[in-house]
Amino acid sequence: MANFPPSDGSIDGHEPRDGRERPASGVEQSDLELVRRVQRGERGAFDLLVLRYQHRVVKLVARLLRDPTEAEDVAQEAFVKAYRAIGSFRGDSAFYTWLYRIAVNTARNTMASRQRRPLDYEADLSESEQSVVESRMRHGDTPEAAALSEEIHQTVNRAVEDLPEDLRTAIILREIEGLSYEEIAAAMDCPVGTVRSRIFRAREAIDRNLKPLLD
Amino acid sequence: MTDQIREQISALLDGELASGEISLLVRRMERDAELRRAFGNYVLAGESLRAPGGLTASPGFAARVSAALEADGAAVAALPVAAKHAPRRWMRPLAGAAVAAGAALAAVLFVPAGEEGGGLLADRTDVAPAMTIASVPPGGASPTPAQNQRLAGYLVAHGQYASPIGRRNAWSNALAADPGITRVALEIVERP
Repeated sequence: MANFPPSDGSIDGHEPRDGRERPASGVEQSDLELVRRVQRGERGAFDLLVLRYQHRVVKLVARLLRDPTEAEDVAQEAFVKAYRAIGSFRGDSAFYTWLYRIAVNTARNTMASRQRRPLDYEADLSESEQSVVESRMRHGDTPEAAALSEEIHQTVNRAVEDLPEDLRTAIILREIEGLSYEEIAAAMDCPVGTVRSRIFRAREAIDRNLKPLLD
Repeated sequence: MTDQIREQISALLDGELASGEISLLVRRMERDAELRRAFGNYVLAGESLRAPGGLTASPGFAARVSAALEADGAAVAALPVAAKHAPRRWMRPLAGAAVAAGAALAAVLFVPAGEEGGGLLADRTDVAPAMTIASVPPGGASPTPAQNQRLAGYLVAHGQYASPIGRRNAWSNALAADPGITRVALEIVERP
């Protein structure tokens, strides 16, 4: 039989279970809270999950399809499938892991339906392939999107460079190093509440620069 | 007040907001597009810092997904039911068999076992597409286990293409013909 996933969008109708207990990160717990709310009928919570993961899913799908022009349509389909199937999400894995599998499967189905050679998603792209794909994404198939993406990157970087040192350190430790507020507080020798405030103010400063670009 | 809320949004993004604060914040964000925009830009800034140069979703992407979900009212309504009947989760993909699967069902039952490759009704233009299990003559032989296996495969494989009515009809017809099909289909769905 063809290797299609069930209609709920999951690969095998189950969440992955590796049999190991794994501590959930703060982001995972936050996602789970949002998922539970969606399961209770709060649609707005799903909109937040879309906002949180839209860029990662679009980027992933674009790489799998080798065609960035289709990426948003397929990513949208993946999110719709995830929404339909979210009643079955139990929280055994991270929400993004579950969403990732749906996105991969949706991309594979798209490729299969178009008689293309599917990319082996189990193996990551080689560096040269990745370079080609990213180069196409930046300079080839979607010049407007690539230009916007580059402009966003430059704007964000400029905004971060212009931040006061304490805000810049806090946002870098959070966004690039992935540290928790508690870890940042320890690293910067300040209370957790101060870390929270610094990260917020850094984001606000970046947002003020991004807003005119995206409105 | 707004700054306090936006700081909560920032903390939510980092998974650092207290559980008790999330619900109210989500409701506020549901009503306030500016708060959602801020959340989206916080996310974008982080993505841009972590993985520069790659493709990002266009500014209207999340709104389009939301509109698509809004238009898909049946899926929204189905959520509480799905949660309520969690033990029957497996039936949803099965119940998603298409009208095409109904046609495939007829093909499985009517085409001789030796006719490999030509069994799909969809490939046969001389057969009425509306034919279903109801066309089986009364007293006809029950499907063999092998036929059941093939049929369940078709039902599962075609489920994703079905309209809700088509899925219901196809699956109802299959159940009426042979309740044992559910067991076979379940095995297929649960296969690793």
